[in-house]
Amino acid sequence: MSAYVLGIAIAPPSVSHDGLRLEELVYRTSRGALAAAGVSQRQLDHVTLGACDELDGRPISSMLMAAPAGGYMTDEIKVTDSGASALCLGYARVLSGEFHLGLVASWCKCSKTNVEEVMRFRGDPFFTRPLGLGAVEADGLFAQAVQEELQISEAEVGRRVADAYRRAARNPRGMRYAEKTLFDVNGSPYDATPVRSGQRAPLSDGAVAMVIASGAFVERNRGCEPLARITGVGWASDSYQLDRARLRSLQSARTAWRSALRMAGLQDASALDVVELEAQTGYHEAAYVRAFAITDEDRISPSGGAFAQNPLFCTGLVNAAEAVLQVSGKAGEVQRAAVKCAAAHSCHGYAQQGNVVALFESAGAAR
Amino acid sequence: MKPETVAVLGSYQSNFKTHVDEKTYVEQAQIAAAGALRDAGMTPEDIDALVFAQAPTHFMGVADADRWALDHVFGAGKPVFRIHTGGATGGSAVQAAYSLVRSKLFRSVMVVGAERMAETPDAQEVLNLIFDAFYERDMPLSTNTTVGLWTTCYLQRFGLTQEDLARIAVRARRNAMSNPHAHLKGEITVADVMASKVIAYPLKLFDICPRSSGSAAMIVGSMAMAKRFATRPAFINGSASVTDTYWIGDRLTPSAKLRFVDLGPAAPAARACYARAGISDPAKQIQVAEIYDAYTVMYPVQLEQMGFCAEGEALRLDKDGFWDMDGAVAVNPSGGTLCTNPIAVTGLVRAIDAANQVMGKAAAMQVSRVRNAVSTAVGGIAQFFNCTVFGAEPA
Repeated sequence: MSAYVLGIAIAPPSVSHDGLRLEELVYRTSRGALAAAGVSQRQLDHVTLGACDELDGRPISSMLMAAPAGGYMTDEIKVTDSGASALCLGYARVLSGEFHLGLVASWCKCSKTNVEEVMRFRGDPFFTRPLGLGAVEADGLFAQAVQEELQISEAEVGRRVADAYRRAARNPRGMRYAEKTLFDVNGSPYDATPVRSGQRAPLSDGAVAMVIASGAFVERNRGCEPLARITGVGWASDSYQLDRARLRSLQSARTAWRSALRMAGLQDASALDVVELEAQTGYHEAAYVRAFAITDEDRISPSGGAFAQNPLFCTGLVNAAEAVLQVSGKAGEVQRAAVKCAAAHSCHGYAQQGNVVALFESAGAAR
Repeated sequence: MKPETVAVLGSYQSNFKTHVDEKTYVEQAQIAAAGALRDAGMTPEDIDALVFAQAPTHFMGVADADRWALDHVFGAGKPVFRIHTGGATGGSAVQAAYSLVRSKLFRSVMVVGAERMAETPDAQEVLNLIFDAFYERDMPLSTNTTVGLWTTCYLQRFGLTQEDLARIAVRARRNAMSNPHAHLKGEITVADVMASKVIAYPLKLFDICPRSSGSAAMIVGSMAMAKRFATRPAFINGSASVTDTYWIGDRLTPSAKLRFVDLGPAAPAARACYARAGISDPAKQIQVAEIYDAYTVMYPVQLEQMGFCAEGEALRLDKDGFWDMDGAVAVNPSGGTLCTNPIAVTGLVRAIDAANQVMGKAAAMQVSRVRNAVSTAVGGIAQFFNCTVFGAEPA
């Protein structure tokens, strides 16, 4: 069994999509992916959504969002961990042989939500919540741990963030923030020691959709030109406990990475031309580069990653879409030369409790 | 490459009640996970991945509570994600796990979840928030008021009475007396149902499920795992799900593709599920149906739309004992959702009860000679519907 990506759409990002209701934003994005794939909603036999009630601001948010996302009169299911997690389930559904044409969609309107309050709401009521721990504080603990464990200097963090902004500035699908100097980044105030505000990726509103299909569908529909083949996925979650051992180990990230590589039959990062990392801070990028043993820094996040756009819940699926664009040679101004294999990474939860990795190869290589 | 055969290897469900004061959420989840492992004779190391069933966390007040429970369900370090399709969550989670094994990504997957419905003083206040903020929320719609309107439509359409529906509640409570896990149980009469407090006309208190708390887990695995761990597994031979539009008004118009009063997604989902399971005549080939009947009206509507009888006939056949334990099809030997509704895991419990019938593990609820059993789950005001067929042999 094989699974292909036939089309993708990434919504134009915004700090605040005030002119569009969430369902309009998602509708346009899913329609865009279907149009890019050359298929219609009626042809879909499954839809896999990645969405979060709390970030969407309503219980069972998929009630409202399923149809705009393409889930009408078809098999539809929702994963609540991340957009990239939804891709993993969508991939499994295609590999199961029961589904042949599906849509994976995810979104996040950070501007309409108090993200930090949602993160604090994630705290268990006995130990974590009374501390007032949110995502910023959890990221601070993560940064403290990896800084010590992996010898990450603040100078390196600043350089990575400035580089990410520089790459992101060229991304036509990004926010096109102004480039930042090392002073802008490392001279900014602390949010949660050692993380400074300038080292964190700014939040934005966004949506992303991806049409996936089985090999059988591609064979039967020669007019549909796949953009990429999905060659491997991996995902894992760490302990909920924010202790030193957990934060230092990056265990779930390493497990997800190894699983995806193994599935794709790849040995290590050297086989990948591009790796789109979800790095919410410069510390995260530094940690993941080491955890994944990425030695060629030029391969890291040509899109600028979260510093291009950061619709928190679906940033990882945006990464996946960027990776697909790279292997299909359609990444525009951020296109790298001769990309055959690309990886997309995503993380979610307190101090990145969960990690997801998806690997893509060019459809030309696959066919 | 042939897809993997998927089997149920073991399961667990707690005893359900309104409040679980003596346990935390994570302890509830752990009890379920450990119980399913014990039932299957497995250890945590035998589980490759987990699917967490968790419906709205607004009932409990801890967002993404599944992550809090990860260590307790032996999920730390493993592939895990959470499924949430409202009331359909438990059924959807089973289907996700089925896909993970059928695709050969994993050999074994545990579906686990817990619910604490009564943490919120009034679940209907939370459920009002699922409706559209601009048009419907202020009416005020809730699940009770909406299903009240649905029930009126159904009874009027087929010339049926409230007493016809009341018999469903009577049977449910009676069947539940054989179910050690059921929340509500006991001998009640049609008169008792009719005399119970009116909640949303024509629904009385006894037409409506309770708010239940508890936990459940099911382990599914490949054929190789079934040979290793199960002497008499149930095979997941078919599953399907259909989602309708959010807008109830669009489901009431003459041009509606799927009609609200028919629980629109049920018929196409059942057809797809049966096709995969090789079921052509459900009333003859399926011996047990564990259906998601949070309200009495959902019982006849599902039986009709899932092909067990003609439209408008389910309650008339009910009078003849068609759905009794020894009837043509035993419907909800467990007492069903009318007796127990821990929303996050209700669909999972339906699946467990159906699978147990095939595995011969239903104890006092056991129906004889069960070759196929079907379970359903419904979410989002009849918007989401899924069903799963369990068989004694692979399809």
